[in-house]
Amino acid sequence: MNAAAFDYVRPATLDEALEHLAKHGEDAKVLAGGHSLIPAMKLRLSQPRVVVDIGRIRDLHSMSERDGKIAIGALTTHYEIESSDFLKRSCPLLPEVAGKIGDVQVRNKGTIGGSCVHADPAGDWPAAMLALDAEFEIGSPRGNRTVVAKDFFVDMLTSAVQPDEILKFILVPVTAQTTAYVKFAQKASGFAIAGVAAFVDKARKEVALGVTGVAAKAYRAAGVEAALRGLELSAATIATAAQKAADGIDPLSDIHASAEFRAHLGRVQAKRALELAASRG
Amino acid sequence: MSTTIEEAPKGAKASQKYFGRAMKRVEDPRLIKGIATYVDDLKLAGMLHAEFVRSPHANAKINSIKTDGAKKLPGVVAIFTGADVNDKLGTIPCATPLPGGKSPDHKVLAGARAYFVGHPVAIVVAETRAIARDALDLVEVDYDPLPAVIDPEKALEKNSPLTHPELGTNIAFTWSISGGDVESAFKEADRVLKIRLIHPRLTPMAIEPRGCVASWHAGESSLTLWTSTQIPHLVRTLLPGLIGIPENKLRVVAPEVGGGFGSKLNLYAEEVVISHLAIRLNRPIKWIEGRRENAAATIHGRDQIGDHEIAIKKDGTVLATRCKAIVDVGSYCQLLTPAIPTLTGIMLCGCYKLKAVQMEVTGVHTNKMSTDAYRGAGRPEAAYIIERVMDLVASELGLDPVQVRLKNMPEPTEFPFQTATGLQYDSGNYQAAFNKARELADWPNLLKERDTARKAGRLFGIGLSTYVEICALGPSKTMAAGGWEWGCVRIEISGKVTVITGTTPHGQGQETSFAQIAADRLGVPIEDIVVLRGDTATAHFGRDTYGSRATALGGTAIVMSIDKIIEKTKTLAAALLKSTPEKIEFEDGKFFVSGEANNELGWGQLASEAYVAKNLPPGFEPGLEASSFFEPPNCTFPFGTHIVAVEVDRDTGQVKILKYIAVDDCGKQVNPLLVEGQVQGGIAQSIGAALMEKTVYDENGQLLTGEFMDYAIPRAADIPDYVLGSTETPSPSNPLGVKGVGEAGTIGATPAIANAVIDALSPLGIRHLDLPFTPERVWRAIQENGGGS
Amino acid sequence: MKVAATREFNVPQEKVFAALIDPAILQKCIEGCEKMEKTGEDSYDAWLKIGVAGVKGSYAGKVRIQEKKPPESFTLQVEGKGGPGWVRGTARIQISPKGEGSELRCESDGQVGGLIAAVGSRLVEAAAKKMLDAFFRNLEQLLGD
Repeated sequence: MNAAAFDYVRPATLDEALEHLAKHGEDAKVLAGGHSLIPAMKLRLSQPRVVVDIGRIRDLHSMSERDGKIAIGALTTHYEIESSDFLKRSCPLLPEVAGKIGDVQVRNKGTIGGSCVHADPAGDWPAAMLALDAEFEIGSPRGNRTVVAKDFFVDMLTSAVQPDEILKFILVPVTAQTTAYVKFAQKASGFAIAGVAAFVDKARKEVALGVTGVAAKAYRAAGVEAALRGLELSAATIATAAQKAADGIDPLSDIHASAEFRAHLGRVQAKRALELAASRG
Repeated sequence: MSTTIEEAPKGAKASQKYFGRAMKRVEDPRLIKGIATYVDDLKLAGMLHAEFVRSPHANAKINSIKTDGAKKLPGVVAIFTGADVNDKLGTIPCATPLPGGKSPDHKVLAGARAYFVGHPVAIVVAETRAIARDALDLVEVDYDPLPAVIDPEKALEKNSPLTHPELGTNIAFTWSISGGDVESAFKEADRVLKIRLIHPRLTPMAIEPRGCVASWHAGESSLTLWTSTQIPHLVRTLLPGLIGIPENKLRVVAPEVGGGFGSKLNLYAEEVVISHLAIRLNRPIKWIEGRRENAAATIHGRDQIGDHEIAIKKDGTVLATRCKAIVDVGSYCQLLTPAIPTLTGIMLCGCYKLKAVQMEVTGVHTNKMSTDAYRGAGRPEAAYIIERVMDLVASELGLDPVQVRLKNMPEPTEFPFQTATGLQYDSGNYQAAFNKARELADWPNLLKERDTARKAGRLFGIGLSTYVEICALGPSKTMAAGGWEWGCVRIEISGKVTVITGTTPHGQGQETSFAQIAADRLGVPIEDIVVLRGDTATAHFGRDTYGSRATALGGTAIVMSIDKIIEKTKTLAAALLKSTPEKIEFEDGKFFVSGEANNELGWGQLASEAYVAKNLPPGFEPGLEASSFFEPPNCTFPFGTHIVAVEVDRDTGQVKILKYIAVDDCGKQVNPLLVEGQVQGGIAQSIGAALMEKTVYDENGQLLTGEFMDYAIPRAADIPDYVLGSTETPSPSNPLGVKGVGEAGTIGATPAIANAVIDALSPLGIRHLDLPFTPERVWRAIQENGGGS
Repeated sequence: MKVAATREFNVPQEKVFAALIDPAILQKCIEGCEKMEKTGEDSYDAWLKIGVAGVKGSYAGKVRIQEKKPPESFTLQVEGKGGPGWVRGTARIQISPKGEGSELRCESDGQVGGLIAAVGSRLVEAAAKKMLDAFFRNLEQLLGD
């Protein structure tokens, strides 16, 4: 299978890239790591007439501290995050998620920005982004703006980034080591059937749980969080709270996992993620 | 990998250096370096590219096909539909039709109807592959979808729609086997056990999808077809009649082939159409399949449902088994489709002394791709059935599954062993393999491990499979178009050796193992030997590679040819040594007069003499070349024992294989490294079949597992560290004593894994669970039996 | 694949029924339906651009209104084929009075084939639910006008 014919441009700056998008509108697609776009193009499910390769825009390929938060450029690859000693110390949830994405080839090319904008309901990043209340800095012809995670993942395969915008940076907090990502993968594709990112704040007696793969978009397990607010974490309190991990959502269903099984796995993974995160500090 | 590469023992005789030695393959350097030639590497001058328009409906009337728009695309050379080609070509053959079977005409392209998702409807030929692909989007086909026949059991009901209305039935064929006195055996039984066993449909998923290049040589009116196939010779036999050229004007070449596993043991519509169009357009044409096409339009495997009754005595003796089975054959019977369940039937007694066996099979037409041979071809189903039965007998009677098996096995002294199904098992020592496997598995401690785990509430299980299978097919009386094999050996004028085999290795390693056999037999260094295969212009005769036959049959044909050459050379040597042929001895590559070993002649000198021909004795024909056809007196029957330990996660239903022990007996081993590779690969495919693989069509006949996104095959991380061992019980069916091992792993492993998982779940009262053991299936079984935590 | 939903409207039963069998309104309710052209009594050629986010496909097909039982119920049949495959759906629509307004129940049975069934089956049900949600949302907006 090969893609339909397309024009290819490779801007050197973000402004140039935004100009191309403004010019071509819905006929253009941004190419970052290519591991979501290119398979869709080869299947001809996606047929952009212009591919705007932003891979050379160095500004978007960086990691730095900014006002006490960590700013990760949208073009940072999963591998770079997985292997970052800096992130392992300061925001360990990210390297843990990165290491579970796809396979080595995907991690070498795929980018955190591209993955988040693609907003696959079974992608791994959204779970972590929600758990961390990450902020998304978007470059836009209408003026740059920042969107918080819960508003960023709008729907299945739909993020808040408009067709003429480009995600620039993702800001995440510095956290303790008490985080964890557990993933029950679909055996063939490696995508999450139930992936849970847990952030435990022992001092504040609060947890944050992002769940992916279970519903049409990743979500915060608010019921679990409410049940544990102000409580000491123990095997018993975690087990009870985790039962709420699939409350209030419509689980997906396919040949790999029915809605019932998916919801169950969401609860199992919530329990395991919380136990693991709590055990780390 | 447990086998270590061996160096030749120091001071080894020239006739004992290679056979039996674990050696690296001569094929591998070119494969690893990427300098081997696969069909997609071929570039011929003026070559065109083809893509097929395929039906997106499982069952539909084709009202019209509009190609004008597509033809206008620059670079499109031609577009053909069924109306353009079907009446000029023969129908795709089934080589093994069963008496009374009803088959529809299998035309190369769909005609008035499409019968499965992926059914080729039209073909676009263009200057480049990209243009052909673009043109596909512009071909407009008007379909009237019809209800699809999907469930093979529902397909047999009175009011079911018909896959092929003109046949008046969805029954493709019926077949039965009955051996021994089934009635008496069941009357004699203390108990009759019943179980329904399903072997799901599987997709072979060879790493290289299908493809071919056809080139017409107008001057000679001859055609060359390069195709990714296991069977160039069988294609050369079948194709001429379909495309209207004589057999001796067709050359078929199997270049490097990236895996077959039975999926390339067929003559496909695409190969016929491409060949025809190469002649019609008088330009070479290439077609390479994509993965989605491969999943939809390359043959599938297995798909058997059986209701079984087993007559047993209280002491665990299994008297007889009878079953009614349904095989979902898909929309057409392809080359060997009806033969597959017959292989299940004849092997239904496994390695046990059943008195009677009965099997009735109904092949059912549905709106799916055809099923046909897939690694094991009917024998994995048989082994799964009988080995599940043995565990069932043990659990129902409260007996040890080891003892139940030993009780029913024939002793080594009872071979050749006549089965209730009329087969003669050539040789066997099932107890030896069984004992060795249990030793390697540290059986008593494994049982203790299970006890400890169970006390802790863990779902830990141990599974066994003591299997036997039938391969090295086979005696020509039982085969569709000859079961012999051909081998040619030529000592060249320089003394180098060329071996030509009529088998078609496509990963099995016979370029190496045949060289090992020939090197020892001739007493020459292995580096002096080249093994040729796969080209019908070079390997004039052959019956190709499938059914684990190549070494047993092809190797023997080579040995026969070598022996003919040695006999002939003795005459020449006698003349040169001024003696008589009866006094000439041949040892370690040297000819000498008996008692005068210091005055010897080697192949170099003798070959030179034979071809330069100045000193030939009267009546001696120049040259040192011989070819032979080996007609096997019987098939061979490899066997073994696999032992598996698994643990099941109560919360997620995930199955983890903790231990895998396999002892396989394939008779004498030419190259233990090759044997190990075959066993490892076969087990891996069995792990897939047991834990994750299933070809899924929805109720409309849409293929939902058409890509690796949805069809899970095992990766390296899924494969446990195997503990492999072997026993060697030579086969009397051929002078090499070799049995064949290509499919053994796929046959022996799935039942062992199945038995292990069901054993793990047995404390919950679960008696049986169907394949594959996906997490959800296992989880539901646990939930339904109150085993959730 | 069956998807069902129920919605209430502050509009009487007859008005809802009349709106739905009006091709101009029906076309606006079916999310992604770019054009509908009458070809016969209660039957239309339709052009649909449906999908999710960037993965949208163009489908040419037909819309048919059948089994009309004013003002209570009718069946809507939509089918289309395009590059990514084909889609087919039957929706049984029942409208009953509820208080001052009405309640609409939609039971749909959809099938997809071709590429989208082969590689997108995990998302098809969710996409169908989205389309049904959009159908009600659009209808609500139009009825409110």
